Amino acid sequence: MKRRQAIVAGLVVGVLASAGVMAAAAGKAPVRGHARPVGPALAPDTGTGELLIAVVGGVFASREEAEAANETLVFGDLQGYYVVPVAQFQGFRQQVGEPGDFALVSAFRTEEGAREFADLAASFGNAGAILPERVRSLGGLYAGLGQEADPDGTGPLLGPVAESLP
Amino acid sequence: MRNGSRGRRGLRFLSIAVPIAVVLPLLVGFHWARLGWRDEHVNYPSRPSGYTQIVNRFGQPCSAEANAISMKWQAADNGTTYSFRFHRKLGGRPTAMVSNKGGKSTNLDNDVYGHIQNAHLQPYVEHGIYGYACRAKRNGNEWSTHAFGIAIDVSSANEYMGKCTSSVNKNHASIWQKHGWYWGLAFCDPMHFQFATDY
Repeated sequence: MKRRQAIVAGLVVGVLASAGVMAAAAGKAPVRGHARPVGPALAPDTGTGELLIAVVGGVFASREEAEAANETLVFGDLQGYYVVPVAQFQGFRQQVGEPGDFALVSAFRTEEGAREFADLAASFGNAGAILPERVRSLGGLYAGLGQEADPDGTGPLLGPVAESLP
Repeated sequence: MRNGSRGRRGLRFLSIAVPIAVVLPLLVGFHWARLGWRDEHVNYPSRPSGYTQIVNRFGQPCSAEANAISMKWQAADNGTTYSFRFHRKLGGRPTAMVSNKGGKSTNLDNDVYGHIQNAHLQPYVEHGIYGYACRAKRNGNEWSTHAFGIAIDVSSANEYMGKCTSSVNKNHASIWQKHGWYWGLAFCDPMHFQFATDY
């Protein structure tokens, strides 16, 4: 009788211990949520020294205002404008005046790339302006450079073209 | 007496069966002819999994192949006609409904589109329809599947990114899935259909 009780008690303890271990393991499992697998990151190309075409979605007094405005500009599941200080582009102020220090910008090396993005922005109801003159990049924050097709059709344009060289 | 009853029953049966036998095929034929559509399933690429397979199967993002084919699709709710581009391997092959656009398969512009029309599900295709775009993922720094021309956003205003349920696209999602497309609802992007998994 005692032997049987010992076996039952052992089984109960074993089951409870297993349940405890499983519960602890479940608690420590990483939360997967709805994350998507990622690919290689885009190189944060700033095109320092190059003459770039800027598509501008707005100019704001402060970074906070610019970021708040950018949040409202929906491009579906695509990246739209980037918030950057206007001072990182030489020739920018001369074309837009002095409405603020931070702008929503996406920078391009080719007119085709700038026009395609401007069309995309317009199709989402976020029409931007393509600055008439190229601006010189002084480096700084990433402003979307590299997100345009290479004119040879092989893939993204990842380096300067004749028009972007000073 | 019994023979007469059987004869009347036979006549009644014939009076129903003959019109059905004649009219039904005519109706089906009219339906097909009106739409001029067949679900062709010609030359689909196999669906890649992960970035490396996507590049191996469809080439680099933003390439000429990625935006080689164009099509138009009218949104049912506001009547806007969207023109968008996609990869050469996912459509543009000539069919009864699609002109020769130099594409390699019948997937998107004939089969998926035609299937949605034929199943009378077009009322569930709402405004905000987009395809190829040489852009990164929103708030990310890696290429979007749109940059490869292998993603389509449908009803994007209603089925916005971050929404983990579907109210419109759920009506035709199974058609996309049967033609090899993966639905972004799995990662809370119900507007998004992509011809790839694990990316």
